[in-house]
Amino acid sequence: MPSIPVSASSPPLLRAEGLVVHFHTRDGVVRAVDGVDFEVGRGETLGIVGESGSGKTISSLALLRLVPPPARIEAGRVLFEGEDLLALPETAMTRVRGRRISMIFQNPATSLNPILSVGAQLSEILVWHGMATKREAPERIAELLRLVGLTDPAARLRQYPHELSGGMRQRVGIARALLCDPSLVLADEPTTALDVTIQAQILDLLAELRARLGMSMVLVTHDMGVVARMADRITVMYAGRVCESGSARTIFHSPQHPYTRALLDSMPRLDRSYRSGGRQLLPAIAGRPPGLLNPPAGCRFAARCPEATAECRRVLPVQVAVGPDHMVACLRRGSQGMAA
Amino acid sequence: MGTLRYILRRLFFCACLVVGVSLILFALINAIGNPIEILLAERPGMTDEIVAEISRYYGLDGSVTDRYLTWAGAMLQGDFGTSIIYNQPVGGMLVTFGLETLKIQVPGILIALLASVGASVLAATRQYSRVDFGVISAAMLGHSLPGFFVGILLILVFAYWLGILPSYGAYSTRSMLMDSEIIDGLWHMVLPVSMLAFFNTATLTLLLRASLVDTLRQDYITAARAAGLPERRVVLGHALRNAFIPVLTYLGILFGLMLGTAPVTETVFTWPGLGALYIMAIQQLDYPLIMGTTMVITVMLVAATLLTDIAYVLIDPRIRLG
Ligand SMILES: Nc1ncnc2c1ncn2[C@@H]1O[C@H](COP(=O)(O)OP(=O)(O)OP(=O)(O)O)[C@@H](O)[C@H]1O
Ligand code: SF4
Ligand SMILES: [Mg+2]
Repeated sequence: MPSIPVSASSPPLLRAEGLVVHFHTRDGVVRAVDGVDFEVGRGETLGIVGESGSGKTISSLALLRLVPPPARIEAGRVLFEGEDLLALPETAMTRVRGRRISMIFQNPATSLNPILSVGAQLSEILVWHGMATKREAPERIAELLRLVGLTDPAARLRQYPHELSGGMRQRVGIARALLCDPSLVLADEPTTALDVTIQAQILDLLAELRARLGMSMVLVTHDMGVVARMADRITVMYAGRVCESGSARTIFHSPQHPYTRALLDSMPRLDRSYRSGGRQLLPAIAGRPPGLLNPPAGCRFAARCPEATAECRRVLPVQVAVGPDHMVACLRRGSQGMAA
Repeated sequence: MGTLRYILRRLFFCACLVVGVSLILFALINAIGNPIEILLAERPGMTDEIVAEISRYYGLDGSVTDRYLTWAGAMLQGDFGTSIIYNQPVGGMLVTFGLETLKIQVPGILIALLASVGASVLAATRQYSRVDFGVISAAMLGHSLPGFFVGILLILVFAYWLGILPSYGAYSTRSMLMDSEIIDGLWHMVLPVSMLAFFNTATLTLLLRASLVDTLRQDYITAARAAGLPERRVVLGHALRNAFIPVLTYLGILFGLMLGTAPVTETVFTWPGLGALYIMAIQQLDYPLIMGTTMVITVMLVAATLLTDIAYVLIDPRIRLG
């Protein structure tokens, strides 16, 4: 775990407060993100973890105000370098996206425009943000392609996405995110779609770039192993809400929320031995998350929680500080309830 | 790289196709029988000798192979024979009538292209809104109404009730509008072009809107937005170009089948085009004219297919030139 000290005094680079994103579907309102808070300090990497459907992608898209219709950001603030991004006019947002906050996507096969060459699509962005003229662009991009570990960058510029391997495409995706030297990079499962060997390479690259360029990162993943390796700070999400957040050290050494504990228990660890003959190597969490269309009252985790009480099924827990820089939303850890 | 070689290979393939069609056409026409016998045998005073004499005059007495080679050879030199009914060179007629057809079909398709791009962008960027719903409904209606019905409706409203546009022909028979052949010609084009544009817009919009909606959902569009590109550029620069790929095929068919749809339009508006000529030729069993027109239709269809293939190569780098 990288050990960049989390400074409590200076304001964070980005802070999301009470983020609410609802999908307005024909069947009703899907509460995909329902009051989410998290923050990223300067130079820090925040890992957002949670299983599929917990709202990680939608939350990170909400930071850029790019939630797909029929989703709408209903409430919240996204404070970034002193301003609330949710209150900016759309034209100002186009100067934030790609330039001050950029994004790396999960699937490199679908996130590059198939009919534009690598050079064409990257240079359009660079030129649009006024970072280079059309003539300077290729050289700048080639430099960046070399930085992300692509050989023969001049040739890559002329190639089309389908001519590159998955790992190479993701490197192009990373280069695209770094074009304008942003202060924050959002990476949504940047390795999930890749082969295992390539995954490790890409994670190494991200760690190296972060150290070298000093940018902050939000790393969205469902893989606790990735978080352990990369994150300074962790936010655990479940069914559209935050369960627990704190420094990586705290979360790994003294997890408080029953869901976080279950997640950590289902993680392969060297200091624990598992029955190798048994059918199930890792203790998985039984059950599935609740549907977010009319979610049940009370704690979203109640149906799967080993510690659930009758109160848990009635009352929605709000986050409470259980230590320095450590917040938990669980009634049995001192959370206040929000009657629902 | 291999683009030129690819095009040459396709050209060769297309030439084979045209030859193939000409063989089939010739065989079919041949199967109907000796046209002179069909056309003249019933006339009073016909003797076998006269029929044989006329057959010889039209070159119908040789073997099938000889006749095909004569016909095809002449055609290659631009000689399509002489129309039996009109007693004019078929080649010249094809050009004159063909130009009249192109005059209404090409604007009909180009206007539809512009209109459908506008309508699709408007609808797809506002999916499920009232605007989207309106565009879909109008396009569905336009697509399902028969072409001739729309044509007759246009004539009824603009020619009959309002009396501001001519209902038939390509030019005024007596005095030209404003004494100008060009203005008079354009004036006559309005209704037939409108009918074609209306019908083509409806179908193209249905296809393009669906494709654009699908494209706008793609990751690379979100990525373009996340890179800070303004919505205009994302939609018109990135999404539209990709959305066009599946529509290209239909566009090619539209151009290729121009002459297939021409008979309806040209009948409704009494337009002196190839479509009208084709119907006339068939009704009157004017063999050289039927064969000449069919060959023109074939060549147009094949050429449109070729152009579509080339357009694909130019627009989509994923196409392998294999
Ligand atoms: N088109 C949609 N219509 C309705 N609800 C949707 C739609 N897309 C997403 N959702 C809701 O949003 C929730 C959060 O989705 P999101 O993509 O953020 O999950 P995630 O945490 O990124 O999961 P994954 O690990 O699978 O990527 C989903 O559980 C689903 O209920
Ligand atoms: S509030 Fe209750 S159900 Fe929710 S995590 Fe805590 S103990 Fe479990
Ligand atoms: Mg996701």
